[in-house]
Amino acid sequence: MIRLRSVHKEYDGRKVLRDLDLQVDAGEFVFVTGPSGAGKTTLLRLLYAAERPTSGEVWVGGERVDGISRARLPALRRRIGVIFQDFKLLRRKTVLENITFVLRFHGVAPREAHRRAYLVLKRLGLHHRQSALPDALSGGEQQRVAIARALAYQPRLILADEPTGNLDADLAGELLSLLCDINYQGATVVLATHDNGLLESIPARAIVLHGGGINYDGVWPP
Amino acid sequence: MIRHALAEGWLLLRHRGLVSLFLALALAIPIGLAGVTFSVMRWLEPAVGTADRANVVAVLLHPHMGDDQRATWLEGQRREHPEWRLEVVAPEQLARRLGHWFPYLKDLLERDGGAMLPPLVEITTSDPESVAVLERSPAVIAVGPRTPLRSLLGRVSRGLGLALGAASAVLLISAALLAAVWVHLELYRHADEITIMRLVGATESAIRGPFLVATVAPGLVAGGLALLGTTAVLDGLSRLAEVVGLPALTVSPAVLAAQAGAGLVLPLGAAAVTLMRHAAVGEE
Repeated sequence: MIRLRSVHKEYDGRKVLRDLDLQVDAGEFVFVTGPSGAGKTTLLRLLYAAERPTSGEVWVGGERVDGISRARLPALRRRIGVIFQDFKLLRRKTVLENITFVLRFHGVAPREAHRRAYLVLKRLGLHHRQSALPDALSGGEQQRVAIARALAYQPRLILADEPTGNLDADLAGELLSLLCDINYQGATVVLATHDNGLLESIPARAIVLHGGGINYDGVWPP
Repeated sequence: MIRHALAEGWLLLRHRGLVSLFLALALAIPIGLAGVTFSVMRWLEPAVGTADRANVVAVLLHPHMGDDQRATWLEGQRREHPEWRLEVVAPEQLARRLGHWFPYLKDLLERDGGAMLPPLVEITTSDPESVAVLERSPAVIAVGPRTPLRSLLGRVSRGLGLALGAASAVLLISAALLAAVWVHLELYRHADEITIMRLVGATESAIRGPFLVATVAPGLVAGGLALLGTTAVLDGLSRLAEVVGLPALTVSPAVLAAQAGAGLVLPLGAAAVTLMRHAAVGEE
C-alpha cells in the first residue's frame, strides 16, 4: 500500500527526513510516533502528496506520488482519507454539508451523500449537531466531524495526523476503536501521534521517528 | 458537478450581490457603448464615406431618360466640361450609392426596392461648385451635396466613431480586468476553502465551477442591460433623425448577438484566465 525508498526531505537546508525506507502493507494498522519535529506530519504530507520529497521515491497504492502531476492529484486524494490535526473544516458549511460536500466530489448523488453523511455522523455521535457550523462545535466535536468526513467515502487508506490531540481520553479511546473497526474491514490506517497512552492501548506496528530517521519499527510495546 | 457549481456559485453571488451588480453595470456600459457606436457608425457610413470624396459630386438623372438620351447627355457634358470625369454608377451599386448621396430618398429606395431607381452619375472635379450648373439641366433631377461642410461632417463623424470605439475598447478591457480582479479577490477570500477542497480530492474544475457561475451571472445581466440600453438609445436617436428627415438608425441582430456574446465571453474569459493562473500557483 505504501512504500518509501531513500526519501530525503529538507526545508531551507534543514533536514526533516533522511534516507527513509518504509513499507506498509494493505490492511495494516501503523502508528507513526516520535517527538515534535521528528517528521511525522511531513511523512504523512508526502503520502497525500501535499509535499514532494527532496529526493527518493514515494509509492501509494501502487502509484508513484513523489512527482505526481496536478491532473492526477485529485484522484490520488480521493483514495485517501486524511484526518488533519487542525481539522480543515469548511467554516461556512454545516457539519452535514462538510461531509456531503466531499462526497459530491466522489461522484455520490446528493440524496445518497446526505444519507451516508448522516450515518457516519450517527456512528460518531454527532448526528444531533448536523446543522451546526464548525465554529459552534467544541474542539473534540470538530475533530469528530473531520474524522467523519474522512470515513464517509470509505477510503482504502486512512492517514490520521494527531487525531486525538483535541479529544479527552474517553473520546480518544472511542476514535481508536473506530479506526480499528475500519482497519478490520480492510482499510490501511497510518496514525501519527505522540500520545504514548494511545500507542500502548492496542498492540500494533509502530514506527518511531527521531531526527528524521526511523529509530524503531516493530510491534509496540516492544 | 454542474449542480455543485450552480449551488456554490449561487452562494457566492448571494454573499456578493452588490459587487456582482456593480460588475454587471461595469460590463453593460462598455458593451452597450460599443453596440451604439457600431450602429451609429454604420448609420454615418455615407457621411464618412463621402468625406474622402470631397471632389466628387453625385448627379441624379431623370428616370425616364432612354439609354441613347443618357449617352448623348453624357457625351455633351464631357465635351462641355473636359475637366470633369463622369462615371455612371452600375445598377447593382445604385441603391447603396443613392442612399449615400441622397439619404432623404430613403422612402423611394424602400418603396420601389430599386426597381424604378433613377440613374446616378458621379462627377469627379477639382471644383465641385462648378457642377451646380447642372441643376438647370432638364435631364437632371438633383445635384448632390458639394459644400465643404460635407467633408467636415464626415471627418467629425469619423473622429467621433474612433473616439467612441476607443472608449468602448478601453472600458471593455477595464471591465474584463474588473471581472478578473473580482475573481482574484474571491479566490483570496476563499483560499482556505480551496486548499481544503484540494486536499480532499476536488478537481480543478470542481473548484473553478462556482467562480465561473458567479461570473457568468453578472455577464448575462450585463448582456441583457446592454441590449436594452442599445435598443433604447438607438430608438431615441432614430426619432431625432426622423425629425430632421434622415433615415432611422437600425439595430442589427448581429450587433445584439455580439453584445450578448460579449457579456458572456468577457467575464468568463477573464475569470478562466485568473482561475488557471491561480491553479498554477495555488497548490497548497
